Amino acid sequence: MNPAPSSSAPRATALADREESIRHLPAGARAAFERFQAGGGPAELDPVLLAILEDYIPRTSAVPLAELPGSTRLIDDLGFDSLAITEVVFFAEDLFGITISNQEIIQVRTLDDLRGFIRRKVAVPATV
Amino acid sequence: MPPLPVITGLGFITSIGHERSTVLRHLRELQHGFEPVEFFGNSNLPVKVAGTVKGFSFPTPNWRDWTWPDQFSVDRELLRGLAPHGVYALCALQQALAEAGLAPAELGDGTTGLFCASAGSPFLLGNFLTQMHATRGERGNPMGIISSIAGTLNFNLAAHYKITGAVCGFVSACASSSHALGYAMDEIRLGRQQRMLVVGAEDLTAESVVSFSSLRALSHNPDPATASRPFDRRRDGFVGTGGAVALVVEDATLARKRGARIQAELVGWGQAGDGHSVAISHPEGAGLREAMRRTLADAGVNAADVGYVNAHATSTPAGDRSEVLALHSVFTSSGARPRVSSTKALTGHGLSLAGAMEAAFCTLALSEGFIPGAAHLEEPDPVCDGLDLPPTSLEEAPRLALNNSSGFGGSNVCHLLRRPA
Repeated sequence: MNPAPSSSAPRATALADREESIRHLPAGARAAFERFQAGGGPAELDPVLLAILEDYIPRTSAVPLAELPGSTRLIDDLGFDSLAITEVVFFAEDLFGITISNQEIIQVRTLDDLRGFIRRKVAVPATV
Repeated sequence: MPPLPVITGLGFITSIGHERSTVLRHLRELQHGFEPVEFFGNSNLPVKVAGTVKGFSFPTPNWRDWTWPDQFSVDRELLRGLAPHGVYALCALQQALAEAGLAPAELGDGTTGLFCASAGSPFLLGNFLTQMHATRGERGNPMGIISSIAGTLNFNLAAHYKITGAVCGFVSACASSSHALGYAMDEIRLGRQQRMLVVGAEDLTAESVVSFSSLRALSHNPDPATASRPFDRRRDGFVGTGGAVALVVEDATLARKRGARIQAELVGWGQAGDGHSVAISHPEGAGLREAMRRTLADAGVNAADVGYVNAHATSTPAGDRSEVLALHSVFTSSGARPRVSSTKALTGHGLSLAGAMEAAFCTLALSEGFIPGAAHLEEPDPVCDGLDLPPTSLEEAPRLALNNSSGFGGSNVCHLLRRPA
């Protein structure tokens, strides 16, 4: 068996790809992402992240995620399963240009965990 | 006496309608479901017509872009694992369960099984693999396999409806859902299950239809009114379609006990291989002939007792001829003269969907008391001499209807359905 190639696959970082990938998100989230790209702080990512979660959540939440406490658990409270979390992780990796390992993501249990984790990650962008 | 499987519910997402009454009207009035199409946006393609599934739209592989008619509900949780034909299947199964008077909560006690048939989704599989190649294997939609490979129907529907009985998918190309229905009958006759849900479905996409152009199996006739004309001398290939049909099959004793309306009894089935060619039917229809004989023997009836044959005939020059010769051998040669038609003249060829769809049409014929006519047949192929191909639908109630299906590799499957006493 051939050794697995190193992590050298092209990343979907082109602007057009990013715009295409977020066209389903609400206008507020798209605007926040534009502000982040224009040099806004990592706090701009919060509405983007919540919109991604709402896009992938298996069962639509009765309450908007932005109104839920930060201690809300992704799996136990919001009904995420491991596949849906994988989808969120892949989306976030491509959109924010970061790399998230399985070991890292299993540490993330709540909305606050996820917000903090993504903020730390984007502060140290992965090599593209 | 082994349990008798009966049909108590039907659901339709087809080119000729998305509910029983619409499908019935199209069959009675011989209204086809074809429209002009331009696959791949390429006007050079010689394939110009398809049996379109109206009101559904799958413009991209992204489920967020998909739409369906308002009367159906598709859970978001389910949608991410579905192919286009999975959406059709869910809508068809919802109808079939409602018609059978069954709530989803009644399906999870282990006495209900689920047999499905589709070829998977070439549309989604192609997209998934393209992404995988582009990222050298580092990225993939986590639901990519589940939504695209053959089996996607049973994966999704079994989990959604909490089926704990027998669950399986069948793959024999255009005989697939006929196999699913035949083996579902066996599950009930053997006493293994009291109820079986049978679902056949296919995408209707450029990838699923134009693939058959490479085989030269598709009609190049651009006229929706004549492109599909089984048994006609001028037939030149099949017209593709997609959609889904669901059948609820139950032990007759259970159906009676719960007061369900029995629409048709499934009294026999049989299958036989051609042992001939990977893609072309046996020139004399040897396998189909044997499958019909085995079906009649399984039911313990004579050829002369059959009132209607829903032929497999897809409108290809070679396939229709083979089936006609098989029909002559089983019926004409013994003096039997059932009415014969191929409803693919109206719907197009639904591939894995075809067998379940046409078993459902036979059920409508038996329960509503009519025989679908041989639509678009203006100049019968001389080989058909001796067959009774009614030019219009007939308001006469057959007692027994035979449903024929044939698939790649010479797989032939037939069912015999009986009007309830």
